[in-house]
Amino acid sequence: MNKESIFESLPKRKITRKGFVKLCGIGAGALAMSNGLLKFAFGREEASSGRTVKKIKGLHDLVAVNGVDPYAMTVMAIEALGGMDKFVKKNSVVLIKPNIGWDRSPEQAGNTNPYVVAALVDMCFKAGAKRVNIFDNTCNESKRCYENSGIEKIAKGKGANVYFVDDWNVVKAKFSYKSPMEGWPIYRDALECDTFINAPVLKHHGLTGLTISMKNLMGICSGNRGLIHFDIGTKLAHLTDFIKPDLNVIDAYRVLTRNGPTGGNLADVFDMKTIIAGTDPVLCDAYAAKLMDKDPLSISGVSQGVKYNIGSADIAKADILTITA
Amino acid sequence: MKKLVFARRLSQVFFLSLFTYMLWVTPHAALFFKIDPLISIFNLFSLIMLGATLIIGRFFCGWVCPLGTIIDACGIKAKNRDTGFLRKVKYYVLGVIVIFAFLGIQIAWIFDPLVITARFISLNFIPSFTLTLDKAFIFLIKSLNFYAPLYDFYRMLKLSVLGTKIFYFPHSFITVSFFVIICGLALITKRFWCRILCPLGAIYALTARFCLLRRHVDKCMHCMTCSINCRMSAIKEDSSYRKEECILCMDCVYDCPDLATKFSWTRKNTGRQTEGSISRKDFLFLIASSFLLVGFKNVGDGRDRPLLIRPPGVLHKREFLNKCVRCGNCMRICPTNGLQPAIFESGFSGIWAPHLVPEIGYCEYNCNSCGNVCPTAAIPKLSMADKKKQILGTAIIDKNICIAWLENKECIVCEEHCPVPQKAIKSNDEFFNGKRVPKPYVDISLCVGCGICQNKCPTRPARAIRVIP
Repeated sequence: MNKESIFESLPKRKITRKGFVKLCGIGAGALAMSNGLLKFAFGREEASSGRTVKKIKGLHDLVAVNGVDPYAMTVMAIEALGGMDKFVKKNSVVLIKPNIGWDRSPEQAGNTNPYVVAALVDMCFKAGAKRVNIFDNTCNESKRCYENSGIEKIAKGKGANVYFVDDWNVVKAKFSYKSPMEGWPIYRDALECDTFINAPVLKHHGLTGLTISMKNLMGICSGNRGLIHFDIGTKLAHLTDFIKPDLNVIDAYRVLTRNGPTGGNLADVFDMKTIIAGTDPVLCDAYAAKLMDKDPLSISGVSQGVKYNIGSADIAKADILTITA
Repeated sequence: MKKLVFARRLSQVFFLSLFTYMLWVTPHAALFFKIDPLISIFNLFSLIMLGATLIIGRFFCGWVCPLGTIIDACGIKAKNRDTGFLRKVKYYVLGVIVIFAFLGIQIAWIFDPLVITARFISLNFIPSFTLTLDKAFIFLIKSLNFYAPLYDFYRMLKLSVLGTKIFYFPHSFITVSFFVIICGLALITKRFWCRILCPLGAIYALTARFCLLRRHVDKCMHCMTCSINCRMSAIKEDSSYRKEECILCMDCVYDCPDLATKFSWTRKNTGRQTEGSISRKDFLFLIASSFLLVGFKNVGDGRDRPLLIRPPGVLHKREFLNKCVRCGNCMRICPTNGLQPAIFESGFSGIWAPHLVPEIGYCEYNCNSCGNVCPTAAIPKLSMADKKKQILGTAIIDKNICIAWLENKECIVCEEHCPVPQKAIKSNDEFFNGKRVPKPYVDISLCVGCGICQNKCPTRPARAIRVIP
């Protein structure tokens, strides 16, 4: 009735040469199979050559709205571009990519203003979007960023899907030309969406001078992102070409003028009270740089964007509508 | 129907689940250590526990202790042996801890059962459980293409059970071995650890000698069933029992074929119930055993080893290692996974004390969680404004590795991430072939040593910027 425990029975067992060889064989086989199984389960890699372009043109090249209420200003800017219906089709999947990079409150202007995001979510659903995704690859710890930026709460309240990025759910970037971004892992959801709305915040940045819509696209990159900083202009230009955002809404309501991109000191925040919307990321960045009294071509992303013909930085020639609310 | 045994098992499972839940989800796990007299004897809650033990006996060991529950589960099929005089060992363990405590050295962390369980749950159980769950989901979602609804469920889990980060402790093998050995001892005989080694059990045993709830046997037939089955080997051959060993598991009440065993408050004499545990010879032996002190010579010195970055608020505090019980709460709560248990980096006395490993995770500037969950205030509880002023160390740039200094490349990722509002890392512009290359340098007066620069520095394998405490 008392079965021998393994401690008692194991030492009694005899080891034969045949048994030993058999055991080794089984072990090696199991090892080889588990390797294959792991590769099958987790090792699949996919490549993508970027989003397909629709090249939707707005009524104007760029709209800038001045006012006091960021929500109303955002709505006004999109209406002036021709309304969200132009960009979002019925039953489509929309990705809004705000800047949620830092564990900062909205007043500290480290992240996109939550009301700008809220207005975009509302408009997308009104235009008939099936699903609105919001995410960012954060620099600080993601949960704290999502909470303290105020974006998670307000966007979830409006019915959007706000979630954290998964480093396993990426595709490798593939370019038809020679690019330093070749093979960079990009989050899949950034590519598998019908409309990509880029919603950056305008602020100071030590390396690029300013971080605006092209720099904001770094938030859809996985991997060791620090390496993007070398030759950042070219990389951002190629990344923008890869993603081709349909709509750029720049939050210049509160602007960090010094010590960006993290900030934290309220004295560095300047109330610009402007929302910029446009379809050409390079033009948007150029206009935003002009607002900050900087030469647009001194921003490496803009100058390289012009060089690679991704957009135009010629503000004088562009059709720009300025509204004061 | 063994009602009392059923109630005891229910209580054990409840407290084990509660303990795990508190560690996993809530930041209030420190409460559990408040009822632990070995860690906080001068605390109201632990005095209440001792008071309750004076009345009903070692109920904590049998009904509450999470480690006792796990040991019971491990020893369910084990043989039961009489361990005889070995039961005295636990008093020696307690004695050594107390002597060290009087000498100003805290070594309760080695043998406290709650700490051992908390460490296992925080550093081993939760990380491995979440990793397995995460991998299972990845397999289902990615390989089998179950995207839409399952993926949303997975993302929801990331907010609760899974957490946004799968924690990883490179040295957790040592904690798991320690735990497995302690539980594995139950295969030799039931409750081996509780009978022989547990110092918390010793405290409760010393208290329970005077307890009011007693075991009585009417008209014993001397069938010895209860004595053989007793998991603490507390019942003697003449059906009397060692009161201090009884953990009120209630097995003997139902083992008795005549149902003659009862627990009641009456003072009816049932033979000598306790026997002297510590003789004069034992006491001298105990004092002599303090020679162990040799290994702890440098323990009082908080400047143990220079290259460990300690959690915020404890830099160069002499009492840090003495206050820290190594429960792992801070490592569990640290949002970046940066707090890791030390092994031998700071000597034997510093084993498993937390230190920051910036390569794994940095100290989040707006976070004071570790101080809030520390049960012994080894990491001080700091307001957010105070926490931001705490200096963990100072960053230094190795110009032989830094790609901005060595290769004139654009980078300054460190400057970008520096959370100090005035930026503790600044840069000077230099021009190469018409290109602006900012060269970073550290403003030592502003640096708090949070380590985010080291964490985000893109150079591999060695980081070009490092935090030196």
